Amino acid sequence: MNRTRGHGASVLVAALGSAFGVALLQITGALSAVIQQDDVTGSSTTVAIMLRVLAFVFIVISVYVAAVVTANTFSTIVAGRVRSIALLRLLGSSARRERGRIAREGLAVGILGSLLGGVAGTAVAVATERIAVATGAIPDAGYTFAERVILVPVVGVVFTTWAASWVGSRRVTTVTPLEALGRSEELSREQTLARPGRNRTALVLAILGFVLLGAGVVLGLMHPAAILIGLVGGILSFSGIVLGADVVMPPVLRVAGRLSGRSAPARLAAENAVRHPQRSSRATIGLVIGVTLVTMFAVAMAGFETSIRVAQAQQPEVYQGVDPMLTATTAVFSVLVGFSGLIAAVGLVNNLVLSVLQRRRELGLLRALGFTVPQVRRMVLAESAQLTFSAVALGLVLGAFYGWAGAQSLLGSATEGIVIPGMPWLAVALIVLAGAAITAIASWAPARSAVRVSPIEALAVD
Amino acid sequence: MQTDTPAARARSLTKTYGRSSAEVHALRDVTLDIRRGEFTAIMGPSGSGKSTLMHIMAGLDAPTSGEAWLGAIEIGRMPDAQLTLVRRRRVGFVFQSFNLVPTLDVRGNLLLPFELDGRRPDIREQKFIDELIVSLGLSDRLTHRPHELSGGQQQRVAIARALATRPEVVFADEPTGNLDSKTGRDVLALLRDAATRHGQTIVMVTHDPVAASHADRVVVLGDGRIVADRPRSTAEEISAFMLSLEVTS
Repeated sequence: MNRTRGHGASVLVAALGSAFGVALLQITGALSAVIQQDDVTGSSTTVAIMLRVLAFVFIVISVYVAAVVTANTFSTIVAGRVRSIALLRLLGSSARRERGRIAREGLAVGILGSLLGGVAGTAVAVATERIAVATGAIPDAGYTFAERVILVPVVGVVFTTWAASWVGSRRVTTVTPLEALGRSEELSREQTLARPGRNRTALVLAILGFVLLGAGVVLGLMHPAAILIGLVGGILSFSGIVLGADVVMPPVLRVAGRLSGRSAPARLAAENAVRHPQRSSRATIGLVIGVTLVTMFAVAMAGFETSIRVAQAQQPEVYQGVDPMLTATTAVFSVLVGFSGLIAAVGLVNNLVLSVLQRRRELGLLRALGFTVPQVRRMVLAESAQLTFSAVALGLVLGAFYGWAGAQSLLGSATEGIVIPGMPWLAVALIVLAGAAITAIASWAPARSAVRVSPIEALAVD
Repeated sequence: MQTDTPAARARSLTKTYGRSSAEVHALRDVTLDIRRGEFTAIMGPSGSGKSTLMHIMAGLDAPTSGEAWLGAIEIGRMPDAQLTLVRRRRVGFVFQSFNLVPTLDVRGNLLLPFELDGRRPDIREQKFIDELIVSLGLSDRLTHRPHELSGGQQQRVAIARALATRPEVVFADEPTGNLDSKTGRDVLALLRDAATRHGQTIVMVTHDPVAASHADRVVVLGDGRIVADRPRSTAEEISAFMLSLEVTS
């Protein structure tokens, strides 16, 4: 049997994660080689290490988001397979064995995706370097692209995908053989899996983080080094939010659902989006991470720019030529950080596709009761919009807050006083546009399969 | 709505699946009138075509040839968009596996057919729905979700939903198939009552002679044709008759 069947999205996510990591390491490697070539100060080693560290920060963010997405995809797949797993349990297979089978699929997905991504990432890096050399942007440093360090993301992605599939298959252990005989209606079992311990950790992290952030802002009025306190606070509080996604996201999703109107399709969509709160939370949290980071950089850069402007006015000759550098840095960082948003978007699309596939009978019922094809399509679109809207809105708010807190802690002593965060409206507009695009793309495929469901499927007994 | 025209009519319905080399004739030239206000049971062994007949008469499937009438409109050739409106406004469904919308509570499920139309029930309809809620014993369940209800309760909600719009015909597909016999009898009594008290036309597909004995009329299909059309009969009579069919075929 084909082991990777139904895992297309997970392979893509693994490939994206590995391609990103490999490409980033190869490009920074090539850059370091260039710098080393005309090294006069002997500082090139330091620069090379800094580039590597920076690259790894971005890689870890992307791989983390990819792991969240993959774990979620696997739990959705397991939910769809409950009946066949139950049947195997009925025939005498152990839960361990069934879970192991799914984890092996995860390993296969990880290996396949990571290798594909490694090749693609290297190809992108080689192409980039060749173009840069050909256009004369950098000299040919004879970088070979055969460094051992690229194995780190490749192997890392294999293992995180494997681990994510194991985490995502937790539901298998709760499948009872009796479920093979029961009704096929999908019950929400996920409540029983709620983990209070984890939520407590999340709460503690969030509170501690926000206290430190506040301290950073206050101390920043005296000394720029307060940014370091703020940084720790930011990492802790955001980890708390991500870890507590199961608690944080559902209320946001509910508010977004209320905004989508009172018509029958909108109301059903609103209910669908919170039907499996954990699943929806995990599907959206990746996008929250991406949007938060991009917004944060944009806001922090905007704050930074403001203080540069002040300094520029005072000493124009020192700060000459700083503008294009600022713009370029913002752009590069946004793209690197935004990559996790792309991975998250794949997860969101896949989540919606799978959830529609698993609801065929219900869709058939709605068609039998008189849902028109446009109404079904509108329902899927509303569901998709609700998920992306929630993620983008929360990400923008968090990102603006973190960006402001960061800029304030760093520059508070220079600007003397608390400043209102300047919103980079262009970046916000781009993020909202990207969100709208994700909504449309995410609803396209599932809406197509949803409208193909015949009302007779509601009458089928199994 | 004239009372003398049948609520639903099948005219020379045929339904063929597959290509010419491996054709399966699910229905062969079936003509049938469903009389208004009557509770009709459609029986037959698996593969007899009883489900296909119901699907076509309820606007869920299209016939290969022939006509399917619902009141004064022909639905066999209707495009999907129009057919959807017919199902929404003129047909009610009760399924074997209850099929309530799991994300809506009991009230939400009851009002769904109205909300799909983008309207609220008018005063008369609301009064009728309130009556249904009381007579089906759902008063204290209105805010419950389907998974909080027993099978019998779920099926009562499904019946209330099917009756709420006072449709031309309520189609019930093995409505007692997933219920224990006591709960099943209650559900059948409710359907019986809807026909007697409200003059609701009901078509029920079943293979259970006990269920069929609650109907005013029993139509038996075999191999895609109508093989018997009997008035109200006891479960024993129906069983004996079905057995005799098995023996002769």
